[in-house]
Amino acid sequence: MRRIALPDWLRLMAVLPLVLSACSAPAAPSPPAAPAQQQATAAPGAAKPAASGEAVQLRFAWWGSQDRHDRTIKAIQLFQQQHPNITITYEFAGFNDYWTKMTTQASGGNLPDLMQQDYAYISQWTANNLIIPLDDYVNSGSINLSDVPKSSIDGGRINGKLIAVNLGNNSQTVALDVAAFEKAGVALPSQNWSWDDFEQIATTLHQKLGIWGVGSGLSDIQMWKSLYLGYGQWAFTPDGKGLGYQDDQKYIDYLKMLQRLQDGGAAPSQQEDIAQYRTSSVESTPIVPGKAAMQYFWSNQLVAAWTAAGADRKFQLTHLPRPKGGQAENYLKPSQFISITSQSKHPQEAAMFVDFITNDVEANKILLGERGVPISTKIQDAIKPMLTPAQAEAQNYLARVEKDNSPLPPPDPAALSKLNDSIFLPQLVDAVLLKQTTAEAAVSQFRKDATALLTSS
Amino acid sequence: MSRASPLELRVGATTAVSAQVSARRRALRRNLTGYAFIAPWLFAFLSFTFLPIAASAFLAFTDYNVLSQSLHWVGLDNFDRMLFRDPRFWRAVRATFFYALIAVPLKLAFALALAMLLNNTRRLITSYRAAYYAPSIVGASVAVAVVWREMFGRGGPVNAVLEPLGITAKAWSGDPATAPWMIILLAVWEFGSPMLIFLAGLKQIPHEFYEAAALDGAGAWQKFLRITVPMLTPLIFFNLVLQMIFGFTVFTSAFIISGGSGAPLDSVLLYSLYLYQTGFKDFQMGYAASMAWALLLVVGAFTALIFRSSSYWVHYEADTAR
Repeated sequence: MRRIALPDWLRLMAVLPLVLSACSAPAAPSPPAAPAQQQATAAPGAAKPAASGEAVQLRFAWWGSQDRHDRTIKAIQLFQQQHPNITITYEFAGFNDYWTKMTTQASGGNLPDLMQQDYAYISQWTANNLIIPLDDYVNSGSINLSDVPKSSIDGGRINGKLIAVNLGNNSQTVALDVAAFEKAGVALPSQNWSWDDFEQIATTLHQKLGIWGVGSGLSDIQMWKSLYLGYGQWAFTPDGKGLGYQDDQKYIDYLKMLQRLQDGGAAPSQQEDIAQYRTSSVESTPIVPGKAAMQYFWSNQLVAAWTAAGADRKFQLTHLPRPKGGQAENYLKPSQFISITSQSKHPQEAAMFVDFITNDVEANKILLGERGVPISTKIQDAIKPMLTPAQAEAQNYLARVEKDNSPLPPPDPAALSKLNDSIFLPQLVDAVLLKQTTAEAAVSQFRKDATALLTSS
Repeated sequence: MSRASPLELRVGATTAVSAQVSARRRALRRNLTGYAFIAPWLFAFLSFTFLPIAASAFLAFTDYNVLSQSLHWVGLDNFDRMLFRDPRFWRAVRATFFYALIAVPLKLAFALALAMLLNNTRRLITSYRAAYYAPSIVGASVAVAVVWREMFGRGGPVNAVLEPLGITAKAWSGDPATAPWMIILLAVWEFGSPMLIFLAGLKQIPHEFYEAAALDGAGAWQKFLRITVPMLTPLIFFNLVLQMIFGFTVFTSAFIISGGSGAPLDSVLLYSLYLYQTGFKDFQMGYAASMAWALLLVVGAFTALIFRSSSYWVHYEADTAR
C-alpha cells in the first residue's frame, strides 16, 4: 500500500491564498464588496419608496476645492440625520482626475449613484446612456423644482429630457480692484463697456499705477467663444462639427488688442501667463497680491480670490466687455450639475438627495452657494443674510447678468479640450502672442485645423 | 525535502522505462515546487504586467474610448493617423528627440566628470559622493519638478542670480526657446546613478596604466583619452543604453513644468506626455495604445543600434589582453 503524502507544492498552494489575502486585506477597502452589498438590498429598495426604512447605501462623487469638500461632507451628514436608513459614501478629486476616475469607473460598471456633472460632458455621457432622465422624479414630486426659474433648469436638458439638475449658476466676469481704480482716478466701468473701453482703461491703470491694468487668462478659449456671443453667434455649428462663425477678423482684432496690452506692459506677457498663471488656481491670479487692477475669471471664483486677498480689500464684479454695439458676451452658465447614473441601484433615494441639495434650507446654509448661486429663489433669499461680502457680490452680480445676457449656448463639442490643447493654445494664441506668427496667418490656419478636428470627431 | 517521496517507496517498478518515468515525475514535482514558490510573483506579473501589455497590443488596433461600451477593430488606422494625420504627434516626436539627444550625452558627460572628481581619497569624500547622489534619489519626483518650476519662475532664485549679471528676468518655462532646457537641466542634474557606475569603473582601472603613461610623458588629457575612456567603454555603453531608454520615456518633469499641457508651443510635449493626454484626457485609449507600441519599437530600434555599434567602440578586457 502506498502512503498518501501531500506533495510539497500542493501544501504550499493551500497556504498561499491565506498569505495573499492577509497581505491585501488592509490595502483594499473592498470595492468589489460594495456592489454586492447593494445588490442584496437592490430589488426591494428600488421598488419601494425610501420611507420603507430599508438600509440603503449611496455613493456620491464630485470635484472641487477643499472648501467644497468640507461643506459637501457636512451637508451629507445632515441628509443622513434626516434619513437614518440611507448612508452616503463619497469620493472627490480635482477636476481632471475626477474625469479620469469617473470614466474608468464607467467602463468598469462601478459608477457612483450620484455624480457631479459638467456642461461640457453631459451630452457625451447621455449619448453613452450613463446618466438617466430625471423627468419622472420631477413629475412625481421627488425632485421639487417649483421654486426654480425655467432658465436655470433648461441647461440640464438634452433632447428635451432633464438629465441633470443645476447646482448653481455662474458667469464669466471681470473683477475690479476698487481701491486701485480710486487710486488711479479711473471711474469704474459701466456694465455695457466695450473692448475699446477695456483696452483704454487697462492702459490708463497701468500708466497711473505701474501695475498690470489687467491680469492673466485673456487668451483662454472661453474668451474666444464669448467674443462671438457678443455678435450673436456661437463658436460652433449646432451639431458641433465645425466653426459656427464666418468672420475671422473679429478674433484677429482681439488678438492684436491683447498683443498691444502685453507689449505695453498693461497685461502680463504670454511667457508669464503660461509659466505662472495658466495652470494655477484662482488664488494665485495677479489681482490677489495687487499686481493687477482687473482680473478675468468665473463669478463663483470671487469667493476664493477675495479670501486669499484678505478682507480689507474690496472687489466688484462686472460684465465682460462687449463689441461696440454688440450684445452681452455673458450668459448664465450652470456651473455644475448633479446627475443620477444608470448604474445606480437606488435612483429613488438618489433623487431624494438631489431634491435635498436643491431645496433644503439648512443644507444650503452649509453649502452657501460655493458651487454657484443656488437655483431656487427661495434658497437664495434664505441664505442672503449669511453671505460674506464676496458671496453677496457674486450673487448680486448674477442678478445683474440675469437681466442682461446672451442666451445659454449649446454644450461644447466633446472635442473642445482636444481642440484647446492641440490647436487653440499651441497653434493659435500662444503662437501669435509669443510672436512666432501673425494673427492673420494663425487664425486662418486655425479655421482649417479646427474644422478638420471637429468634423472627424 | 529529505523525506522519501512516495515514489521512491514503491516496490517492483524496476524496469528501465518506469525508472525513466519516475525520474521525469520527480523532476516535474521539483519544478512544480519551484513554480509554487514563484507563484505570487507570477500571479502579479501575469495579471498586472502581462495582461495589460497583451490588452494594449489588442487595443492598439481598435478605437476603444473607455466611455462607450463598444469598440471597433480599425486595423492599422491608428498607425496611419499617427504617421500622416496627426501633426501634434510629430511635434511630440520632435520635442522628445531634442530632449533625449541633448539630455542623455550631457548627463553622461557630467556624470563622468563628477565621477573623476570624486575618484580620489581625500577626506570627507564619501559624504561628497552621497551629496552628489542625492538628486537622483529625489530627482524623478513631483516635488522636485515643482521646486524646479518655481526656481525658474519670474520671481524665482534663478532670475535673482541672473539679474545682477545683466540678464533680464524672464519666465523661463513660458518661452519655447528656454522651456525645453529646463527639463534637460533637470535631467542632467539627476546624474547620480551613472556617476556611481562610472566611479566603480574608475576604481577598476589599474594604476600601472597611468604610471606607465606618465613615464612616457603623457599629459592628463592624453591619459583621459587613451586610458580612462577606452577602459570605461563597457560602462559608457551600459549607461548609454539605460539613460537612452529613460530619456525617451521621461514624463514627470515635462508634466509638472508645463502644467500637463506641453506648453509653450508644445516645446515640452514629450512623447509620454502626449500619450498620457491622448489616453487619459481625450480618452482615445486605442490611439494611445498604438502610440505606446510605436514608442516601444523606436526605443527597441535605438537600443539595437547601440548594441550593433558597440563592437566598434566598446573595448572589453579580453580584447585589450590580446
